[in-house]
Amino acid sequence: MIIDQKKIDETIKIIKANGGHGIQKCVQCGACSAICPGVKAGFPLLCRALIKDLLNGQLEENIENSSSWGCQACNRCTEVCPQGVRPQEVVFAFRRYQANELAFSTSSVTSQMNLYETGHAVFTDPKEARRKVGLPEETPTSAFNEAAQQEIRTLMDNSPMGELGLF
Amino acid sequence: MEQIGLYLGCNIPLKNPDIEQSFRKIFPALGVQPVDLEGAGCCPAWGTAPSFDLNTWCAISSRNITIAEGKNVDIMTGCNSCFGVLSEAKHFLETPATRTAVNNSLAKINREYKGTSDIYHVGHVLHKKIGLTKIRENLKYKLDGLKIAVQTGCHTLWPSDVYKVKEDNPYYPTMLKELCEVTGATVCHYSRLEGCCGMGGMRSTDAEKSLKLFKEKLLSIKEETDADMIVTTCSSCFMQFDMSQPILKGRGEIDFEPIPTFYYTQLLALAMGFEPQQVASISQIDRNPIIAEIQSDNRRIKEGM
Repeated sequence: MIIDQKKIDETIKIIKANGGHGIQKCVQCGACSAICPGVKAGFPLLCRALIKDLLNGQLEENIENSSSWGCQACNRCTEVCPQGVRPQEVVFAFRRYQANELAFSTSSVTSQMNLYETGHAVFTDPKEARRKVGLPEETPTSAFNEAAQQEIRTLMDNSPMGELGLF
Repeated sequence: MEQIGLYLGCNIPLKNPDIEQSFRKIFPALGVQPVDLEGAGCCPAWGTAPSFDLNTWCAISSRNITIAEGKNVDIMTGCNSCFGVLSEAKHFLETPATRTAVNNSLAKINREYKGTSDIYHVGHVLHKKIGLTKIRENLKYKLDGLKIAVQTGCHTLWPSDVYKVKEDNPYYPTMLKELCEVTGATVCHYSRLEGCCGMGGMRSTDAEKSLKLFKEKLLSIKEETDADMIVTTCSSCFMQFDMSQPILKGRGEIDFEPIPTFYYTQLLALAMGFEPQQVASISQIDRNPIIAEIQSDNRRIKEGM
């Protein structure tokens, strides 16, 4: 691999702009990876390994790698990091870079559409189940509240998400 | 009676409303009145806005929080993901630039985030606000002799610096253990206590990797505790334990019957004498035998004792 300072600078700029502010504090100790459920489950590019690639300027090269979407956002890494990197924020910053380039599984489009239409990322008709347990059929949430749904749509339409054509 | 905003999220009201009903039954009986947050939506889930844009995440989260602020109540949620997402959003909103940007977005829907409502988990309200003594006083059945393995779930533990209520040691959580022990049941330690169940983004990204992680945790529970039931304060963990044990059983990957799993407030509602049909009737794993055991006559606590 050829180390290109321009690529490194550009990568760090993109990661920081997407919320991974602590990336340059990383000393590659690997405490994050040692405790990461995603690494344990076999996702190859999370925590230390991802940060290493990013610090070497390897951004586009990894755009199709789905590891970041296996991150549970559990933040064990953030808790254990001795340098204050907050690795989960770096993983999510990389995921945001991927998402805004539409490099993610089509299955996750459904949750964006659900959120836009009902205000719930997960939506199933709850009426029968709720009746069965003695609750009103309709939830007090946005699912049955047109004004609430409209508010959520307004927030999404006026965000960078609104430009991606997902909903 | 103290009031608290009941933030429902998605899975609990839409898929597992028996968990919602268990909140609505136990909290008033324990002296805390849940108040509906009308029009609240998704927190938003990790795979949605948080995966695209930080300020959009904070805008959607803070919209939910402003509903509680408008009622002058704190927020209580039973979903660990909601708890984590809302708490982290609140943490990001402490940064002035983020708060300004988010309030500019909220202005379009005539809302303003002020930061006056705190975020609590159902388990926190039970343990810290209501307390173990009051819970013990309201039991109708004692669970002595029953063995429980607990599953706290990730998003109430880490990162501890963004949470209002913290465990003394997030890698060795004790609140849920104590909440279970107050019923008289025995809570058994197992070596993968703090391990992730594999639900969440991992399960939707790669179900096999998720099941591998889950199986390791499950075997640790079975072999080290032989628990009568698993009790969790995370609705996502509940779904993973309830849905994935039958999958592993069907594949022949485990040689024991799936262990009945409860959300904690379901177990407490049963121990407080509420109707199983209302508070614990939706599950893949058959929970009827253990529910009958919990509410059996010989476990009834006599009045005045």
